[in-house]
Amino acid sequence: MMEFLRANQPVFDFFLLTLGFAYSQQVVLRAGVFSLASAAFSCLGAYGCAYLVVKAGLPVAAGVGLGTLIGGLASYLVSLPLARLRGVYQAIATLALVELMVALALYAEPITGGAVGFNNIPKHVGTTELLIAVLVVIYLLHAQSISRIGRGFDALRQDEYVAASLGVSSRREHTLAFISSGLIGGLFGALQSMYAYNVEPNQYGFGYMVTTLAAIVLGGRRSLLGPILGSAIMILLPEVARPLAEYRQIVVGVILMIVVVLTPQGLADTFLAWLQHRRARALAPMATQPPGGRA
Amino acid sequence: MLTQQILNGLISGAIYALFALGFNLIFGVQKVLNLAHGAIFMSGAFIAYYGVIGGLPLGLALLIAMVSCGCVSVLLDRFGFQLLRKYSHADAEFGAMVISIGAGQVLTSLAQKASDTKVLSFPFGTFPVEFFRGLGLRISLLQITIALLVVVLVALLAYFLQRTSFGRQVRAVAINPRASALLGINSRSVFSITFFIAGAMAAIAGVMIALSFNSIQFMMGEPYMLKAFVVVVLGGLGNLAGAVVASLLLGIAQAMAAAYLPPGMADILIFATLFVVLIFKPNGLFGGGLAPAGVGRQ
Repeated sequence: MMEFLRANQPVFDFFLLTLGFAYSQQVVLRAGVFSLASAAFSCLGAYGCAYLVVKAGLPVAAGVGLGTLIGGLASYLVSLPLARLRGVYQAIATLALVELMVALALYAEPITGGAVGFNNIPKHVGTTELLIAVLVVIYLLHAQSISRIGRGFDALRQDEYVAASLGVSSRREHTLAFISSGLIGGLFGALQSMYAYNVEPNQYGFGYMVTTLAAIVLGGRRSLLGPILGSAIMILLPEVARPLAEYRQIVVGVILMIVVVLTPQGLADTFLAWLQHRRARALAPMATQPPGGRA
Repeated sequence: MLTQQILNGLISGAIYALFALGFNLIFGVQKVLNLAHGAIFMSGAFIAYYGVIGGLPLGLALLIAMVSCGCVSVLLDRFGFQLLRKYSHADAEFGAMVISIGAGQVLTSLAQKASDTKVLSFPFGTFPVEFFRGLGLRISLLQITIALLVVVLVALLAYFLQRTSFGRQVRAVAINPRASALLGINSRSVFSITFFIAGAMAAIAGVMIALSFNSIQFMMGEPYMLKAFVVVVLGGLGNLAGAVVASLLLGIAQAMAAAYLPPGMADILIFATLFVVLIFKPNGLFGGGLAPAGVGRQ
């Protein structure tokens, strides 16, 4: 196992980063918020961290921490107006936010380096740091999902009116979802800037969105297993399908379409639901049998 | 100088209108954000290009591009969006977006393969280069053709939607597909027709843009997709007249920004405007958006 990981370390690192971004995207979708703004939060986190570490000379840990906070703060500010919108309006507004970030990063050349990007960042982050960050995020998200907040998210996603009538505050929960997304997005943006030697505006544009959405579609919007499975498929697909490498984008597009049509809840979530269903069916006859009935 | 900028802005705004109208029509009827619309627009330019290279006259190549883009659009609806109707509202909304992203990616990758990632351009003289001057303005034959074509197409679309029986069916389905099905309207054919119209209009817009900038490139759809968002939000999602006005406004604003502001500033201003409008007037500047923008789902 360790040998395999060492041999494929760059792929594994890339997987961990994609997974982090996918969690940032998943946590909002889970709460029924149609936000695609993770890319914008990651963009802020990445540039913020790179600037603080390289230009202001802060220690790396402080830079990553502040990058995370920048993402979180931005997501809170954005959530004030955006948590009021719903559905496609939210999607368009957040898409606009992502494009606005890319345009700003291109424009603010003295700070961000413009189209060339922010270069010459020393490499401070390796597989270990990424793995720790992913595990911490998974733990926190797990804790969130089994708490009242997580149940509130699930209720809001399924039916907002019912959730509201049961005492779930959509305003509060949606704001929380935005902030969680911003913190995770900012954290992994910051880590990526410290990992990859440079930051470019177009890293946080349309491509980022397609990859994270694809990971969640393949995995699922509810379970924490979903993004792991989805990111793994997205990362491994081009490695496994070497002969198809040239047609990789086409294959990814077609797979996305097929999976969404067949299992709109994602592979992992559908599988988990099926398992649960089967277990419930296996238990049901035993529960209804009278004690000491048929042998 | 100023009037010249306004004129140029109006012409590019007219092309945005062609593009955004199709996008908005699909949203109005089907409540679906078709993120593949930009890729279909790009395919239109590509098909027309290969037609012209293959020796066809421009008009015929344009016609072929229109029909094939219309068909691609209809296929996307039949084997994509329609299959999602059986799922819950939230799943379908999310699924539709992902399907259109996937379809867009397939089309762009195919175009990238076909063009070898190069920027293509129509052979010189595909469209006669002629300029007319008057009143201190300068306008090309191409610009005049574009303006006339857009006016005719928009008028035809308005006539079709407002005055014909089929247009009434389209509007009925847009308001309530279930009730119109009970009244005997075949909503499937309504969807197919609207997708065909949207695809064909995107193809025309693609060819017009390719001719005016004389460049065709596999990523050309993306910026127009984003402009369509701006247009439909300013004009109101599903509001077709609003979309035309908003397109013209956007065209003028862009021409002005390009002339008087530092480069790169125009995009920032446009997306910031979009953001602010969505917050304060989510149903568009003219009201009449079809989808509920505020709190609560359907």
